[in-house]
Amino acid sequence: MTAPELNASNPVCGLLGIAYPILQGGMANISDASLAAAVSEAGGLGVIAAANAGADYVSEEVRKLRLATDKPFALNVMLLSPNVDEVAALVAELRIPVVVTGAGNPARYADAWKSAGAILIPVVASVAQAKMMERLGADAVVAEGCESGGHIGKLTTMALVPQVADAVKIPVIGAGGVADGRGLAAVFALGAAGAQIGTRFLAALECTVHENYKKALFKAKDIDTVVTGQRVNNACRILKNDLSRRFDALDAANAPAEEYEALGKGAGYAAARLGDVQNGSVFIGQIAGLVKKEQSAEEIIREIILEYNEIVSSRLCINLRGGVKISIST
Amino acid sequence: MSENEIFAKVAAIAAEQTGKDAGEITMDTKFAEDLEADSLDLFQMINDIEDAFDVKIAEIEGIQTIGDAVRFVEAQKQ
Repeated sequence: MTAPELNASNPVCGLLGIAYPILQGGMANISDASLAAAVSEAGGLGVIAAANAGADYVSEEVRKLRLATDKPFALNVMLLSPNVDEVAALVAELRIPVVVTGAGNPARYADAWKSAGAILIPVVASVAQAKMMERLGADAVVAEGCESGGHIGKLTTMALVPQVADAVKIPVIGAGGVADGRGLAAVFALGAAGAQIGTRFLAALECTVHENYKKALFKAKDIDTVVTGQRVNNACRILKNDLSRRFDALDAANAPAEEYEALGKGAGYAAARLGDVQNGSVFIGQIAGLVKKEQSAEEIIREIILEYNEIVSSRLCINLRGGVKISIST
Repeated sequence: MSENEIFAKVAAIAAEQTGKDAGEITMDTKFAEDLEADSLDLFQMINDIEDAFDVKIAEIEGIQTIGDAVRFVEAQKQ
């Protein structure tokens, strides 16, 4: 696949200057320069996840990404991070082209980011949140259903995406449960103009997550994830393991929110970087059962687009908002 | 619009979203603790308040109580 053609008729591709309307999910402790550069280089939008990291880490990852690709990329800014102010300031300083925000309201930073020329794409979990983000000046939203791994809302992708798509004028990117061309076609049919994909990209060769994490992903079946922390309004989808059973015990004991927080502290790092997939948080989505092998980011994107094209050209006849077919170079 | 009128409307919005009795809502009622609103409920109520009064609430972190929302609307409307 050489020099992918820009599908400018697709609003997400047009907005972001990318070839394929696929955003890589910003996964804490996982989405570093290696994965993000590979996804961007393959024509999607690679995303570096800042998570709780400070400005030094983020600057270094941006520098590494820029050595590997000159394509657009995004920074996922986690708004509940203790370092959010210094990370937010990097957007203007490093001229980061796209900002994806999660876990909160980016209002405090929106004006500064927009004046710096950044494209703002908040992740939303409801219609009201999407409308607020549109009013705030967001350029697009990621409507993320609770099939996703990690912190989640309450609505499924199937219910959330069409309602958000009807409520806002800006492009909607569907997320949650999308791992192949069928998923991409499905969110297009629901009114999205692109998809954000996390779990499938965990399996990318360029994804530097611990090999135990990848093995746990390949072993996971459709029923192997659980939602923890719902009781204390901190719902998180993780792989069922020893840690998730300890969260279940907190539910049974009606434990206070602080105990959930203490149990989850450092658990993402333990799984993603130290490979402790029993006592750490393995954030994978419900679609994990479809992901069975390691492939390059380029192969993953190519496979998704080819499958999508096959679906829209032969199996279904639907009027897709983003154009009937996405061209792919051979 | 008087503070009482704004309060009545905000209380009605909060009651409808959370299923609580509007009569029990006061200026000191807290969205999260007293009305048991999660973040999605809060976004919905803020959105409904914005629509009802034609205002834009950017900093929702500052809105903890019904009174905060009422005072915000009042200030915007002046």
